[in-house]
Amino acid sequence: MLLLIQYTLIFASVLMLVALGGCISEHSGIINLGLEGIMVVGALGGALVMSSLSTSSAIVIVLAAMIAAILAGMLYSCLLGVAAIHFKADQTLVGTAMNLLATAAATVLVKAMNTAMNPDNHSSEIEYVSARKMFIVNINGFEFNWFMLVAIIAVVAVYFILYKNRFGLRLMACGEHPQAADSVGISVRKMRWAGVLISGGLGGLGGLCYILAGVSIWKFENGVAGFGFLALAVMIFGQWKPTRIAVAALIFGLFRSLSNTYIGFDFLTRLNLPGNVYNMMPYIVCLIVLAFTSKASRAPKAEGIPYDKGSR
Amino acid sequence: MGEAHKSEYAIEMLHITKKFPGIIANDDITLQLRHGEIHALLGENGAGKSTLMSVLFGLYQAEEGTIKKDGVEVKINNPNDANALGIGMVHQHFKLVECFTVLDNIILGVEPVGAMGFMQKKEARKKVLALSEKYGLQVDPDAKIEDITVGMQQRTEILKMLYRDNEILIFDEPTAVLTPQEITELMQIMRNLAAEGKSILFISHKLAEIMAVADRCTVLRKGKYIGTVETKNTNMEELSAMMVGRNVNFHVEKQPMHPGEVLLDVQHLTVPSKVHNNNAVKDVSFQVRRGEIVCIAGIDGNGQSELVYGLTGLEPITHGRILMDGKDITKASIRKRSTSGMSHIPEDRHKHGLVLDYSLEYNMVLQTYFESRFTDKIGFLRRKNIRSYSDDLIQQYDVRSGQGSVTPARAMSGGNQQKAIIAREIDKQPEVLVAVQPTRGLDVGAIEFIHKQLVAQRDAGKAVLLISLELDEVMDVPDRILVMYEGEIVGELDPKKTTQEELGLYMAGAKRDEVKNG
Amino acid sequence: MKKLLKNEGVQAFVAAIFCILAGLLIGYIVLLFINPSGASESILNIIKNFFTWSRPASRIKQLGNTLAKSMPLILCSLSILFSYKVGLFNIGTAGQYVAGACASLYAALAWGWGWLPCMIFAMVAGALLGGITGLLKAYCNVNEVISGIMLNWIALYTANTLLTTVKETASPYTLYLDKVTPGALLPTLGMDKWFGNDKVTIAVPLTMIVAVIVWIILSKTRLGYELKATGNNRNAAKYAGMAQNRNIIMTLMISGALAGLGASLLYQTGYMRWECTQSSVPSMGFNGIAAAFLGGLHPIGAVFSSFFIQHITDGGQYVNTNFYSSQISDVISSVIIYLCGFVLFIKLTMKKIIAKSDEKKGAKQ
Repeated sequence: MLLLIQYTLIFASVLMLVALGGCISEHSGIINLGLEGIMVVGALGGALVMSSLSTSSAIVIVLAAMIAAILAGMLYSCLLGVAAIHFKADQTLVGTAMNLLATAAATVLVKAMNTAMNPDNHSSEIEYVSARKMFIVNINGFEFNWFMLVAIIAVVAVYFILYKNRFGLRLMACGEHPQAADSVGISVRKMRWAGVLISGGLGGLGGLCYILAGVSIWKFENGVAGFGFLALAVMIFGQWKPTRIAVAALIFGLFRSLSNTYIGFDFLTRLNLPGNVYNMMPYIVCLIVLAFTSKASRAPKAEGIPYDKGSR
Repeated sequence: MGEAHKSEYAIEMLHITKKFPGIIANDDITLQLRHGEIHALLGENGAGKSTLMSVLFGLYQAEEGTIKKDGVEVKINNPNDANALGIGMVHQHFKLVECFTVLDNIILGVEPVGAMGFMQKKEARKKVLALSEKYGLQVDPDAKIEDITVGMQQRTEILKMLYRDNEILIFDEPTAVLTPQEITELMQIMRNLAAEGKSILFISHKLAEIMAVADRCTVLRKGKYIGTVETKNTNMEELSAMMVGRNVNFHVEKQPMHPGEVLLDVQHLTVPSKVHNNNAVKDVSFQVRRGEIVCIAGIDGNGQSELVYGLTGLEPITHGRILMDGKDITKASIRKRSTSGMSHIPEDRHKHGLVLDYSLEYNMVLQTYFESRFTDKIGFLRRKNIRSYSDDLIQQYDVRSGQGSVTPARAMSGGNQQKAIIAREIDKQPEVLVAVQPTRGLDVGAIEFIHKQLVAQRDAGKAVLLISLELDEVMDVPDRILVMYEGEIVGELDPKKTTQEELGLYMAGAKRDEVKNG
Repeated sequence: MKKLLKNEGVQAFVAAIFCILAGLLIGYIVLLFINPSGASESILNIIKNFFTWSRPASRIKQLGNTLAKSMPLILCSLSILFSYKVGLFNIGTAGQYVAGACASLYAALAWGWGWLPCMIFAMVAGALLGGITGLLKAYCNVNEVISGIMLNWIALYTANTLLTTVKETASPYTLYLDKVTPGALLPTLGMDKWFGNDKVTIAVPLTMIVAVIVWIILSKTRLGYELKATGNNRNAAKYAGMAQNRNIIMTLMISGALAGLGASLLYQTGYMRWECTQSSVPSMGFNGIAAAFLGGLHPIGAVFSSFFIQHITDGGQYVNTNFYSSQISDVISSVIIYLCGFVLFIKLTMKKIIAKSDEKKGAKQ
């Protein structure tokens, strides 16, 4: 049971971070379908730092890895920013390309590095056994991960930024009615860049959190198994509102954690379902939830539409 | 005013030229706005008024010409520059974020903030309330834009300018969405503002309003400067001649009507709204007979669009019956309604009327492509037939386009796009023609043409249902007027007997009759 | 020359070439970055693919392999472009492909069906999965990209579970088709002799026919007229009385059937077996996106672009694996997809340049 809570919380943290990233980006008017790829790149950035830093100071490792993940995610999100903000590219297409590129590039890069260190090693794995321990505080068998705290802080911060802060008001104006924002002198481009970069940072952080969730070694060929898209579903279910996103993330996190922990529950093992059923669970739940919530969705009105100064 | 100004003019736009690909929107235009005056800018749609104002407001940069503020040359590269110079604008299509409150919309861009950018809305609210009292601009600061009336939205826009302490106020076609009573109110507000020393630019193509409120008037035509006149030294005929370049016959010629049997019978129609929880159309009943034009008049947003959606099948209805030529079509699909004799000239030609990326010929058969003359038995298009049919319509209705039938619809002018739609809908030989704002955004020539077509349909014994927001059109074209207010039909008027004032009272909801069965 | 450039098709071609060159250049830079010494050779090998073999017979045989794998890719890209014409981004093609693979293999291995029933069953499976996305889109307004991704994973785990019942005991792979049900292998029509490769089958002519049919449907029929109208302007299509929901569902079903057919045309050659423990969705469906856009969203363009992408993907195995990994090809094709996002901009720029030079000419006259 404790394990279930632990996994629920850590997967919910991933989903919260990434969904908040998606939420910020969409509020600025850019649909970020590349979150999946951003997560991979963020995870890669964090993993590289974790495997290369030899210090034993927990705080240095944790902070350095997080910062690396944020920066990597932001850098990678520039691909979306340039294409969607400056070249009016199809945001769906660009996001999809980013997802494919991230996994391929991360694989190539990690393999190249592994091979460079040991010519016989052609794997795409990075190990970070000791570093992972730094993220975790063991409280009576419950593994508290610092990311759980980070996720809560992110929810609170995004809430205040969106609803109490000047930046948030302007950001949302750009996603709802960019012409209105432009007419009062707000630079739509700048705000959209801000939205994309923040979502890149949060997505990168979420990616790092994901690979730290249960294992100490990550095979980059596998990407992040659709978690970026699950996060988008969480965002839609959360109606683009930070607090509702947090709740939605917990629900999805619960279902995701079942596949890791169902063996621990007698009544579930007695059902004798193949393990794949539990693997499918979060995706099936997501589809059902979307089927019921998408009709009344309150998406930012101008999302996905390139802003053209000329059109009024 | 009392203050001493360095120059007679608050703002001068001298010899402004602005080009867009393929068109010169402003060609050497000069406009001088005095301190404390209300200055009208008159011109037809497409005369270049909006472009000129966008240049002044920093949305576009002119290729040639200079702008002076108080006699000093200034550069306006973006709305921020304009704002810094004290220039504010109420845009024709309001620039309001619908899911924000009135207050948030007013402070957007100039938010009072404390540490770390956190907003301090208290002072802002005080200032807004003070301004709203001073100028008689009633608003609820905490209401969301999507929940308030168009009039209050406009007052929000005006408060936006005043909150920024703007001295030069531009009103872009501000009366288009208002009732006659609200228009009178707005004019009083404008006079108050001018009396407080604000200089006002009032963009319009409505002569009566200009004569009523403006001190001077500058006229544009097809991107060119025609002249500036004092309104007290001129009259409507002269202004109108300046605007269109010839004296226009505002009146639509038509023979007395010979109505026949009822073709369209709408009974207790109720259509839910997509924006709010109430019904947009509430228990509406009326009839249109063979050989008459019935016009649904009303201010924009009183349920006319939803009525048409319900009638044509674009949106589901929750209650009521629709009979066409005696047959019940309440549950019929859009296609069924169309094939059994209903034509629909839609309100928004880009949203509904055309597939812009299709060629003109493909758009010409948008309602008939499935007929055996255009599609063979296996499902292949008969492209030769489509071409010759389209060529015929182009000739018959004088639709002009660069490459004829193969021109992409996107590359055509608005007037010709509309002509193409009208050709398509009329050539379908409908029994009932539903025309929604068929002349919106068109120039005088095209308007005349379209009105003639509507009358011709009526004379040919068809039933025509016209939905219009333009008072002139409402008074001139139809044989009967039904006024819609908040989703209900509140009055039936005879255009020959009523006046614009009476019509206005109905449109504003100040007057209503019990209308039984139209 | 200028007249030629004004042609939409030529513009699409120029843009595609630009994307390919830029993609290869970036791939080359990545190789240089990893290890400069073998980069030039490796990028050339990627481009050469089967030409890296010196014996003509080997070349032809490898060409056969690339051809065999190109056919499913062509069908996946047709699947993508068909739905894209209706304004739907069917990223679920990848999952519909999985459904097709699962159906054809299961029918062949568990039930011993012949090749044609297996193939049809694969199309039905793909169509059903596409239909779910369509239903969700039409009646619940669920974004087809997100539901497509979710269904991809569901399809993958379902395929893994089902195909585990027909796998070898010692390995995670499904049984050999030619040993269990040779009748499910696609007929080769004698082409195996020309290529010296029994993987070249009826799949090749069949795919070409399907591409032409898709092209004809889109450009010459009432159905194509309706679908493109819906894709360009959903509201106008509704106004014209076209049955939108039916069109959305039908489009995604056709799209799914194409993807399912693609899978059956690969797995029924015996070229590959399904790995029942695989933890990621096969990339064929995603590569279809690259091919569809690279081909200018034209069915015939898709044939060439798909072959090209498969060509460099296969070329990936000829890189010097002492330094590099074969996924470099995936990098190149994803860069190409990314750049396809700029195609609109490239075309606009071309048009502007042409218009400007026309203007100059006009001014001179």
